Amino acid sequence: MISLRHIHKRFGAVTALDDVSLDIGTGEILALVGENGAGKSTLMNVLYGLYQADSGEVLVKGQPVRLRSPRDAIAQGIGMVHQHFMLVPTLTVAENVVLGREPSRWGRMDMDRACQEVAATCERFGFKLDPRARVDTLSVGSQQKVEIVKALHRGAQVLILDEPTAVLTPQESDDLFRVARGLAAGGRTVVFISHKLREVLSVAERVAVMRRGRLVAEVRAANTRPEELAALMVGESRVPQAEAQAYHPPGGEKLLEAKDLRARGEDGRPALQGVSLEVHAGEIVGIAGVDGNGQRELAEVLTGLRTLDGGGGTLLGAPLTGLTPAEARRRGVGHVPEDRLWRAVVKAMTVEENVALGRQTQAPFARGLQVDFAGRRERTAALLKAYDVRPPDPEVPLQALSGGNQQKVVVARELDAGPKLLVVVQPTRGLDIGAVAQVQAKLREARDKGAGVVLVSLDLEEVLALADRVYVFFEGRITGTFTRPEFDEREIGRRMLGTRGEVAHG
Amino acid sequence: MLEIIEALLSSTLEYFPSLLFAALGATLCERSGVVNVGVEGMMRAGAFCAAVAAITFPTPVGVLMGMAAGAGMAAIHGYLCIRWRSDQVVSGMAINLVALAGGTYLLESLYGPNGTPPIHQLTRWHLPGLSEVPLLRAFSGHSALTWIALVLPFVFHGLLYRTPLGLRLRAVGEKPHAVATLGLSVTGLRWLAVLGSGMLAGLGGATLSTAVLDRFEQHTPAGLGFMALAAMVFGRWTPLGAFLAALFFATGNALRIGLASSAPGLLEVVPQGFLLALPYVLTLAVLAFQGQRTHAPAALGTPYEQESR
Amino acid sequence: MGERLRAVLPSVFSVLLALAVCWVFIALTRDAETATGAYLQMLRGGLGDWPQYFEGGRLAVLTRPLGEAAIKAALLLLTGLSVTVAFKVGLFNIGAQGQMLVGALAAAVAGAQLQLPAVLHIPVAVLAACVAGGLWALIAAALKLSRGVHEVISTIMLNWVAVSLVDNWLSVGPLRAGAGTHLSTTGTAEIAASAQLPRLLGEMSRLHLGFPLALAVALAIWVWLSRLRSGFETRAVGLGAEAARAAGIPVVRRTAQAMGLAGALAGMAGAVLVLGTEYRYPGGLGAPYGFDGIAISLIGGNHPLGVALSALFFGALRAGGTRMQLLGVHKSYPELIQGLALLFVAGRMVWLSLLRPRKVAPMAPTRQPEASPEVPRA
Repeated sequence: MISLRHIHKRFGAVTALDDVSLDIGTGEILALVGENGAGKSTLMNVLYGLYQADSGEVLVKGQPVRLRSPRDAIAQGIGMVHQHFMLVPTLTVAENVVLGREPSRWGRMDMDRACQEVAATCERFGFKLDPRARVDTLSVGSQQKVEIVKALHRGAQVLILDEPTAVLTPQESDDLFRVARGLAAGGRTVVFISHKLREVLSVAERVAVMRRGRLVAEVRAANTRPEELAALMVGESRVPQAEAQAYHPPGGEKLLEAKDLRARGEDGRPALQGVSLEVHAGEIVGIAGVDGNGQRELAEVLTGLRTLDGGGGTLLGAPLTGLTPAEARRRGVGHVPEDRLWRAVVKAMTVEENVALGRQTQAPFARGLQVDFAGRRERTAALLKAYDVRPPDPEVPLQALSGGNQQKVVVARELDAGPKLLVVVQPTRGLDIGAVAQVQAKLREARDKGAGVVLVSLDLEEVLALADRVYVFFEGRITGTFTRPEFDEREIGRRMLGTRGEVAHG
Repeated sequence: MLEIIEALLSSTLEYFPSLLFAALGATLCERSGVVNVGVEGMMRAGAFCAAVAAITFPTPVGVLMGMAAGAGMAAIHGYLCIRWRSDQVVSGMAINLVALAGGTYLLESLYGPNGTPPIHQLTRWHLPGLSEVPLLRAFSGHSALTWIALVLPFVFHGLLYRTPLGLRLRAVGEKPHAVATLGLSVTGLRWLAVLGSGMLAGLGGATLSTAVLDRFEQHTPAGLGFMALAAMVFGRWTPLGAFLAALFFATGNALRIGLASSAPGLLEVVPQGFLLALPYVLTLAVLAFQGQRTHAPAALGTPYEQESR
Repeated sequence: MGERLRAVLPSVFSVLLALAVCWVFIALTRDAETATGAYLQMLRGGLGDWPQYFEGGRLAVLTRPLGEAAIKAALLLLTGLSVTVAFKVGLFNIGAQGQMLVGALAAAVAGAQLQLPAVLHIPVAVLAACVAGGLWALIAAALKLSRGVHEVISTIMLNWVAVSLVDNWLSVGPLRAGAGTHLSTTGTAEIAASAQLPRLLGEMSRLHLGFPLALAVALAIWVWLSRLRSGFETRAVGLGAEAARAAGIPVVRRTAQAMGLAGALAGMAGAVLVLGTEYRYPGGLGAPYGFDGIAISLIGGNHPLGVALSALFFGALRAGGTRMQLLGVHKSYPELIQGLALLFVAGRMVWLSLLRPRKVAPMAPTRQPEASPEVPRA
């Protein structure tokens, strides 16, 4: 159906795609896997006409085609659902779907016909969507369906799904897989971009593995195992297994005792609905859960970034209510937030200025009312060396660093403050394997030195690898508590879907 | 009483078109996601070129030239903001400054400080039937532009909410990447909106020098462009809203002028300055009341980059 | 060093380009000789009539123009700094005009109504102006912080509210000189002699205390932003508000402080205008100094010292503008140069890309990190 031949693509000095050739057959489900930055999305964006390849060609049904814009790709029957949805939230489902090919009569848009057409497409492929509903009123899963309908409505024969399950609940994911199988059975081609290997193997027939801009392997799903794929992705014969670690029983001082926490999320809906938990010195407490079940808000409450609606407790010897970010830092709470560039660092400032951030009023970063330039330089240089940040130059703007090095700066800064309680959210997302190992090692080191660590991660594997205890979150409540000796991945997974066990805490 | 209302209405309809054209222009531009604080400068360019062109050519041709001049200024704005993703507010302010100083220089070096020589005003339409009817008489004796101004908001409402082009324009102001992934041209749509906006602002300026006055004066448009921005915000970035806001502001202005001439005593009680400040204070009050984020297009002021992730 | 040069170059180039374009503009509308002559007059008017001095003219042929340039520069510098300070905290202050206006009025009232010795009177009048301007700016800050109203819109509105209330009510009504009588004067009552900013060179020039004051303020702002903790925090808020919040920086307080300071600076410009040269609140400010401030700030790369340079340069041009009239070029011509320079700064990507050697094939819109004029360094 589609052949990509010798595709090259560079962004400035970075080679994103290096001589990639790939055939995609009719009626198959192909998975494209690889680490972050391996070039999966770039390749598909080239196929969708959003990026122009520097060299190489694309053949559709054996004919070379030029894909200068998505318009060309759509005309060739290619559709794409982006990881970040490309929907206009203030418009209706029908308006979003017909945008660009609006039915009209004498220059006037025929809204009724648009709705009929969209309803027909939905029915044909078995989607339940109200064409007249505004998109911003829909759930994430439904919005994704709108995206798929958008592509199918344009006659897509090949559907590219970029990290489609990243934002979905497991049920919604299952639903999506059913849709994908149905489409393949109907003669359409589905390309999944993902890095979740188990999921990939359950839905795809064929798997293409990318690594650092190259296509390194194509295998049949039936003939492979997740471990094998992981090895291909990372490029080492042996995947660094999360090192088996000893259980650290909670024995230290109680750092946090939270009772019945209630808070609203960014959208104003209740996000924490009565969460009680405790954290002791010298343990890593993992917070597991599907995205959007209150974990983020918990981290924000503990760092003073979100005000409580109800509940309370004690954090490092003082009440949790009325906590501000400055007060949290004063008490000794460190924070590695999820969205680095938004919340952790100021990208236009230099590395040393970013290291001072959060402790800008203390030695060695300040002397009286003044900035202590020499002290700041010295401390930063030492940290950059200790954490192997490259380049180890305190004066470069932070944005000049790679994502992994930026994250190392953040972790270095937070640990350097000697936190008693460290709140980390998705600390290794988007990092390459080397940086992941280093960041995880630093978290363990902090724990071993006696800090309490709250680890929020959407990656259950990471939680299980690091945590001594795990709280499972579902819809703003705790649905399960586990301690290391009795970690049961399947049971934790079940609790993540809302099956409430007996709530094992006071 | 009736006569007073009639005079008021007539005065309103005199002042209203130029404000409305500029406000519609600003609305069009910002709905596509491009901030336009350069309306004042575009109006000034339009007013100047219209007056100059009308010295040698028939006045309607002058009006067209004014629109072209406004579009020319808008083209600079578009080139900097769309093609080069410059800061849209900076670009707009630069256009204002250039138009202000450039207009003064050209005026003085070509004609002298008091303005361009007088031109033939646009023909005023005296509608035979209407001129007899009390109250409705106020609608008589205005130029065609007044009538266009009364119709245009509805045309734009239809365009924005009832046509494919309007849907695309609204979408591009909310989420340009969504439009791009459907194979539509974000830059093309924005260019269309920016140039249209410049034409409308130019028309607003031309209205001042060909219908309200009969020349280009030193200070034209004397802040009317900024009031157009107020009308756009007050009208919540919609054509009909801009229409009502412009009408409202124009009425306030007519009231002020009317009071100044007919009842100067009243102005001792309610100083003119209060009435002048009213549109802006009201706009601020509306914003303070409901916040701005609720109505401004989501992508307003954000340059569009295709290969950004 | 190369980096510092790269930060300055676009502005210098923009100004040169604007000068060139404006020369061509006169040459086209008039002729090349007039254009050159007008530019020479502008230089003499702004930097002193050196040829005449060397032919045995009095010292005043130098000090007088330089004094005028300094007076203009002081106003441009203060309004420019107002815009710069707001920029540092991430706000675009289009409202310097209105803030300056209420400041000027406050200074005029304090200067005329109070009876104090000069040592106190001047500081009190300047302070009154700063407070008035600061409060006016805080309205915009409050709307931004509590209601999310974009400051560009709110400050534009506040400008016109200020103009309407001051120029069309206060200064022609209750505060008019001889209000209640039928004397027809414009503007407020003249300020007391004790409130007038002292002339530094006596009869030789109109140069007054406002100029060193403005320079000192620029220096202070530079020290604050680059050396002090609170300046660092302010810049952090401007460049990344959420990261600043997470770092425990009081974002709301820093934003309000910076915006208040921005208003105070514009208000101080008003005071310098009233106490230094006008000696009363005239019928209006006479020029859009607040908008000039935007140009001065951006051309100066939003760096206090850069702003000072750009204010000095355009102060000289503006002062020289009056002499261009000898050749029939309007005195506002330097404003056109300034406006064009701003346009070129805004569009620096255009000509920077033309200058860049084409090593790599021109790629469709690459990520151009906004050439931030702010190059933070120790």
